[in-house]
Amino acid sequence: MSSNPHENAPSLAVLHELFASATHDASAAMCRWTDGLITVTLDEVRQLPLEEAIDALDVGDDLVTMVVLTLEGEVGGNLILVFDEANGRRLAASLLGRDADLESEWSEIEKSALTETGNILGCAYVNALTRLVAPQLIPSSPYFLQDYGASVLEQALMAQAVACDDLLVCRIAFCRKGQELDWRVIFIPNQGMRMALEQAVHSAP
Amino acid sequence: MHTTLSATGAREIVVNMGHIALGRGDDRLKAVLGSCVGLAVYHPRLKVGALAHVVLAESAGRDGAPGKYADTAVPHLLKLLAEWNVPAHGLTAKIAGGANMFGTSGPLQIGDANVHAVTRALRAAGIRIAGKHVGGPSGRRIVYECASGRMIVQQAGKPEQAI
Repeated sequence: MSSNPHENAPSLAVLHELFASATHDASAAMCRWTDGLITVTLDEVRQLPLEEAIDALDVGDDLVTMVVLTLEGEVGGNLILVFDEANGRRLAASLLGRDADLESEWSEIEKSALTETGNILGCAYVNALTRLVAPQLIPSSPYFLQDYGASVLEQALMAQAVACDDLLVCRIAFCRKGQELDWRVIFIPNQGMRMALEQAVHSAP
Repeated sequence: MHTTLSATGAREIVVNMGHIALGRGDDRLKAVLGSCVGLAVYHPRLKVGALAHVVLAESAGRDGAPGKYADTAVPHLLKLLAEWNVPAHGLTAKIAGGANMFGTSGPLQIGDANVHAVTRALRAAGIRIAGKHVGGPSGRRIVYECASGRMIVQQAGKPEQAI
């Protein structure tokens, strides 16, 4: 039995094109949300071996601040926004129109600003992916998480690892006035979403 | 896997998903775990340890790195130890991980299944579990010290624990 049921995997270039279109919508939403300050660009769509995935996604083994949005159901996945502590605080502060406080505990309003950012980005991707692959995608409420980035990614990757050893991931970068920031969004489709994406690619003109 | 050498020649090995690493003496084996299980096996007299980063419960006949599945990781780990002339008799195990990080709404509740499968595989191999730190909603960083068989477990917002 093959360890890789994706022997007819579609061209990553085509998938890149599909995600670039979704990212365009997400960027417009992000730009509106941050009053023109922040945009997002598609960094890469990549297929990589399970054992290399965590290193390749470069989240390190330190504590990071994350907002996780899960697309539930057979065709789903996880969208994970990853910030280091200082940058997460700065984004929340800029959204709230105040100076960043790097010392105290996260307040509920700061968490809310960050999860709303996840919601806006997530909904933009959900809308674009729904047009592409499925009639119904059901996003969870985004939730705020402070944990080891590798631990969270590991669990998100399980949704593909149950079926194959090579994983499809999509990485998106944040930009402030054209300059790339050290924040990122990682979208990890589950196995159903991956198959739906592949079908969409095959039926693309 | 990444290996770094200390000034004394001891190795520090980062064990990635699906991998198994062996160490002896002052070697330290490390992993970051979410729903995966870090399975460490130790021979106290020979001071040899091994750490498997188990990803899923059952191989169900699938190919893949032997360390990926609980049911293949344990026999493969024993085989690797035998190549170092470490007998199966006298081994003890410690396990950590198996978190369910996305709560009940997540795509899979795989952490518990991994813990049960590793426990079952160890029982089948006749290896006693001497310590465990499993479950819950948070990730873990673990360091396994081959000199002592001690596993140091870190969780976000909690004091470090040794098992």
